[in-house]
Amino acid sequence: MPVIKLKKFLAQNPDLIDAFEMSVSDQGALRDIPAFCAQQNLHCVLKEQAGSVIRFEIQRQTI
Amino acid sequence: MSQQSPEVLPDEFSLIQSKGTLDWAYASFILASTAAAMDKKVELFFSFYGLKCLFKDTSGLKISPLGRPDMLIRSPVGPQWFRKIDWNQNLPGLVWTLPGMSALATTAFKKQMKAQGQLPIEELRALCLELGVKMTACQMTLEAMGIGESELIDGIEFAGAPSYFAHTPSTQSLFV
Repeated sequence: MPVIKLKKFLAQNPDLIDAFEMSVSDQGALRDIPAFCAQQNLHCVLKEQAGSVIRFEIQRQTI
Repeated sequence: MSQQSPEVLPDEFSLIQSKGTLDWAYASFILASTAAAMDKKVELFFSFYGLKCLFKDTSGLKISPLGRPDMLIRSPVGPQWFRKIDWNQNLPGLVWTLPGMSALATTAFKKQMKAQGQLPIEELRALCLELGVKMTACQMTLEAMGIGESELIDGIEFAGAPSYFAHTPSTQSLFV
């Protein structure tokens, strides 16, 4: 449930404007996290896909 | 697909839960929690056997391959050719009537969900409520089946079909 964990993290850190990294092992996240970010107006970049671990860099859009 | 104008999606999601088995409870609560995380207004209406999903005691939520030809049953262990066998297709249906088969299937399913990173069903349900999913238990079913409100979890509402339709969006999904 990476999407829900990300949502909770964002809710717990409402003032966070810096980019942060998210590592997930769920392969479905490869599509789900960018889809979630597009819907939630978040900037999302796939940083690394090494083996079973996927790393994203996520940032709130300031505009 | 994921990038296609997400803003056209409706911001409300409603689901009628009529099944009270562990697999369908997971299906609905996973969809509901995800929709809520994506800021949709989510309404779940529990009718007939779906009410089982709301019992405080979740031990009644089970699965059984009996009478379920749709269920895919594969071994999680063994060589590749072995793992590809669908035991539900290859064993006579009578096998699932043996004592302990439902318990075995339920345990296996729970393990499978855990391996997928899913929470136990009662925690997933609590998460849904925490995310703002509105759950309504069908009053008529409650009365028809002699279920007391105290048997169900806190934080839900009790209402009949008319109030459900009055408060929910026109887009409904039914889990038959």
